Amino acid sequence: MKKTVKRVKVKQEESVSLSLTVNGNRHVLKVRPAALLLDVLRDVLKLKGTKPGCHEGECGACTVLVNDIPVNSCLYLAVRAEGKKITTVEGLTGPGGALSAVQNALVEEGAVQCGFCTPGMAISMQALLNTHKSRKKSGRGTKSLSRDDIKKHFEGNLCRCTGYVKIIDAAEKLLAQSE
Amino acid sequence: MAIQVLRPSNLPELKKVLRTGAGKNFRFIAGGTDVLPQIAKDDIRDLTLIDITGINSAGFFAVKRYSGGYKAGAGVKVDDLITNKEIGLHYPVLKEAALSLASNQIRQVATIGGNLCTASPSGDVACALMALEAGCGISLPAGKKQVSILKFFTGVRKTVLGKTGLLLSVDIPQNHNKSRQLVSGFIKVGSRRSMECSVVSLAFHLQCDAKGTILRAGIAIGAVAPTIRFARSAAMYLEGKNIHEIREMEKLEFAEKVLGYASPISDLRASDWYRKEVLRNICFELFDRAGK
Ligand SMILES: Cc1cc2nc3c(=O)[nH]c(=O)nc-3n(C[C@H](O)[C@H](O)[C@H](O)COP(=O)(O)OP(=O)(O)OC[C@H]3O[C@@H](n4cnc5c(N)ncnc54)[C@H](O)[C@@H]3O)c2cc1C
Ligand code: FES
Ligand code: FES
Repeated sequence: MKKTVKRVKVKQEESVSLSLTVNGNRHVLKVRPAALLLDVLRDVLKLKGTKPGCHEGECGACTVLVNDIPVNSCLYLAVRAEGKKITTVEGLTGPGGALSAVQNALVEEGAVQCGFCTPGMAISMQALLNTHKSRKKSGRGTKSLSRDDIKKHFEGNLCRCTGYVKIIDAAEKLLAQSE
Repeated sequence: MAIQVLRPSNLPELKKVLRTGAGKNFRFIAGGTDVLPQIAKDDIRDLTLIDITGINSAGFFAVKRYSGGYKAGAGVKVDDLITNKEIGLHYPVLKEAALSLASNQIRQVATIGGNLCTASPSGDVACALMALEAGCGISLPAGKKQVSILKFFTGVRKTVLGKTGLLLSVDIPQNHNKSRQLVSGFIKVGSRRSMECSVVSLAFHLQCDAKGTILRAGIAIGAVAPTIRFARSAAMYLEGKNIHEIREMEKLEFAEKVLGYASPISDLRASDWYRKEVLRNICFELFDRAGK
C-alpha cells in the first residue's frame, strides 16, 4: 500500500502531537489532548465513513480497528492511538475501489438498508473474520462458530433497519467461505 | 482550563505526578469506558486525566499463577478474562461475568481495575470477584497494602482508595484442594439480553468434592444494594450440604438468606419489589446448574 506522510495543523492553544497510521497512511497531527479518535478521524482526517451515533459506546457505528482490535472510537482517546495502526471502513476497500470479502458479503445478502450502521458492522465483521482465520491457523479453531456465537459478537453494533437477520446471514456465509 | 492527559510510565513517576503535576482536579483513566461518557454527560471541561495504561509494569497487565492462586493486574482487559483458559477452567463465574459485560468492543478496552474502582452496584466483574472473595492489592499515599474485596467498597461509587489510591492487582484465591466439581456461574437479568446494566445479578462459586459435598461457597449479589454484597450466611448455609441432594425447602431457605442482603431501590429500570422477586427466582436457577 502507498505510504504518505500528511501533516495537518490544527489551531489549538494546547495541542499535542500524534502520529498514527490510518488505512496504511502515516499521519503526524496536532490534536487536543482529550480529542476522541472518532473526531480526529472524521474532522481532522475527513474520513467520514466512521459514523457518530450515540457517542457513548452503545451503538457501535463508530467501530474501528486499532492494531486489528475492534474498539468504539467514540470512547477512545486519540492520544492512545500513538504509533498504532487504525483501520476504518475506507481501509477495507482494495485498490481501485474493489470491495473486500466482508463488503461483498454484506452486499450479496442485502444486509444494508439505511446504511448508517454499516461501516461499524463491516469493521466488526472484519474483526470476526480475522479472529476466525487466526484461530484456524494456530489450530485453536477446531470448533466452528454457531449462529449464536456470531450474534454475540455483534452485540455492540445496533441496527435500526434490517432486523439483523441478513447481517448475521452475511457473517455466517463469510465464515463458511473462509473454511 | 481544558482537559489534559498525563501518561506516567512507571509507579514512581505516577507518584510524582500526583504530588506535583496533577493539581487537585484529576482522575485516573484506564480503559475510559466509564470516565469518558461521564465527562461528556456532565460536560466537564476542566480535568486532568492520569492515564495509567502507560505504566511500564508487566504485572499490571497480566494474569499470573502464584502460590495462592491467580494474580490479575488491574490493567487486565475484561476480554482477557474470557480468552484465558485457566480462568475459564477454575473460575467459570469470572468468565461468565466478563462475557456479560457490555459488548466485544468495550471488553477490548475496559479493565478489571476500572470495573472495581468505578464501584457501581451493578459491576459485573466486580460481582464475580466478590463471590471469589478476591484480595485487592492497593497503593495508597501511605504505602502498599492488601485488603479483601469484602472491605473494598465503602458506598455507592466509593472505595477505600479515596481519590489518590491506586488498585494494582486482584488476587483470586486457589480453589479448595479437594474441589472436584464446580457449580460456578453468573446470572444477570436486565431488560434486554445485550449491552444492559443489570436489574439484578447473582455470582456463585461452589466448590464441591467428588461426591458433591459443598466444601466452600461464595455468593455475591449485584444491583440490589448500594454496593455489591457478599451473602455470607447464604454461602455458609450451603457449605457441608450435598449439591445433588438439596431439598426444595432448603432452596427456599437459601433464597431467603440471599434476599436478606438485598435492599434494592426503585428506579427507571425496575421497582424494588421486582428486583427482589427476580433475585429469588435466580437463586433457584443456581441449583439447576448443578445438574449439568
Ligand atoms: C455502553 C456501555 C455498556 C456497559 N456495560 C457494562 C456492563 O454490562 N457491566 C458492567 O459491569 N459495566 C458496564 N459498563 C461500564 C464499564 O465499561 C466497566 O465498568 C469497565 O470495566 C470500566 O473499565 P475502564 O477500564 O474502562 O474504566 P475507566 O473508565 O478507565 O475507569 C473507571 C473508574 O475507575 C478508576 N480507575 C480505573 N482504574 C483504576 C485503578 N487501577 N486504580 C484506581 N482507580 C482506577 C477511574 O478513575 C474511574 O473513576 C458499560 C459501559 C458502557 C459505556
Ligand atoms: S458512536 Fe460510538 S458507540 Fe455509538
Ligand atoms: S441499515 Fe439502517 S441502521 Fe442498520
